[in-house]
Amino acid sequence: MKNFFPPVLALVFCISIFWKWTLGFSAFTVFSHTLDRAGDLPRSFPNLKMIDQDSALFQIEDKNKYILLNFVYLNCPYVCHKINNRLEDIYLAIDNRVIPTKLELVTVSFDLKNDHVQKIKNYRNHFNNSIQGWTFALPWQMKQHDLESYLQKVGVWAKSTPGSTIINHSVYLFLISPEHKIVRTFDPTRESNQAIIDQLYLCLKE
Amino acid sequence: MSKRITFILSIGILGVLFFILSFPLNHWLSQTMPRHQLIQLPLMLVIGLFIGYQNKNINITNLPWGIAILILALFSLMFWMLPRSIDLTVVYPWFNRVMHLHIVGVGFFISLVFRNIMFEVQMAFLLMLSAMLIATGAVLKTFAILLCSSFTIEQQHETGLYLLSFGILLFVVTLFLFFKGLGKVSNQRSSF
Repeated sequence: MKNFFPPVLALVFCISIFWKWTLGFSAFTVFSHTLDRAGDLPRSFPNLKMIDQDSALFQIEDKNKYILLNFVYLNCPYVCHKINNRLEDIYLAIDNRVIPTKLELVTVSFDLKNDHVQKIKNYRNHFNNSIQGWTFALPWQMKQHDLESYLQKVGVWAKSTPGSTIINHSVYLFLISPEHKIVRTFDPTRESNQAIIDQLYLCLKE
Repeated sequence: MSKRITFILSIGILGVLFFILSFPLNHWLSQTMPRHQLIQLPLMLVIGLFIGYQNKNINITNLPWGIAILILALFSLMFWMLPRSIDLTVVYPWFNRVMHLHIVGVGFFISLVFRNIMFEVQMAFLLMLSAMLIATGAVLKTFAILLCSSFTIEQQHETGLYLLSFGILLFVVTLFLFFKGLGKVSNQRSSF
């Protein structure tokens, strides 16, 4: 029995560390870990003052409708543009009686160093001509450090790689209810456009 | 005296190698996933194994504690292969150095335990290690989702392929060692 103790102790210790590190074997990547740590759904969406492509200030709180929100940076070499193209497809597939009356799309850049209002305006112009109800925005008067902790509260991982201009980040889409609660998160790398649209309609019905 | 000098010299060389890998080459080795996971991490393990090999005076002969150390070593290797751990080592160089020291320590203890522990445990450890490498390699090779934010999907697949290949190779070598050693063990036992 005495001989049994050290290996079992080692095993229990290791499993405990793994349990803690992966939040109960549920979050193995930095993306899922940051999202899980932000809390269970539905949860309050931390308020953020933003400036849109037309230099108008707004807050999610002010829009009393569902918001599908994502975070990007415009110098992203690949994934952000791909996700925004997917969002454009989703936007075009949704009934135009829903957008912008019941649902709006908001794309927020977290690159405060390189992105500015004119740049997001130019970027928005690359999409379909009439994307009314899809706002591109930047956080208003926020420092990079504060933005990082804000993103963590939302559940978004965004960190610069040392010695590189690339920002590693999550690509989740957040559905925010008119009561300013995050009611659903979508992972566009795993979920199809149709699955996201179906879920959106389901939430709007509720 | 010459043995002592050789010992000090070899530890010195391993220390310099550790420093080079952990400091001047760290940025380069952290740029891609294959460099980070297939060069930097295994070299740290090799450094630890050599340090342990050089230290002939320290021995772990107790079987239960030997097995406990090998369990800790396996989980340590697994820990540093988790996507979250890999990402944090790339984003925070200090965390990467924690990994380096930890892996050197793991190699050191594996070396100390391995030279005295019974043959069956050695084989079990090697089989579990190869199974772990094969499983990790298969996940990295087949997943079409980016697991480590610091690297690309192509690098993830490349790392997976090499880990899978290395795991299979280790499995074959372990099987060979097992059947080779099995004969020796049964001969030793029959002579008693």
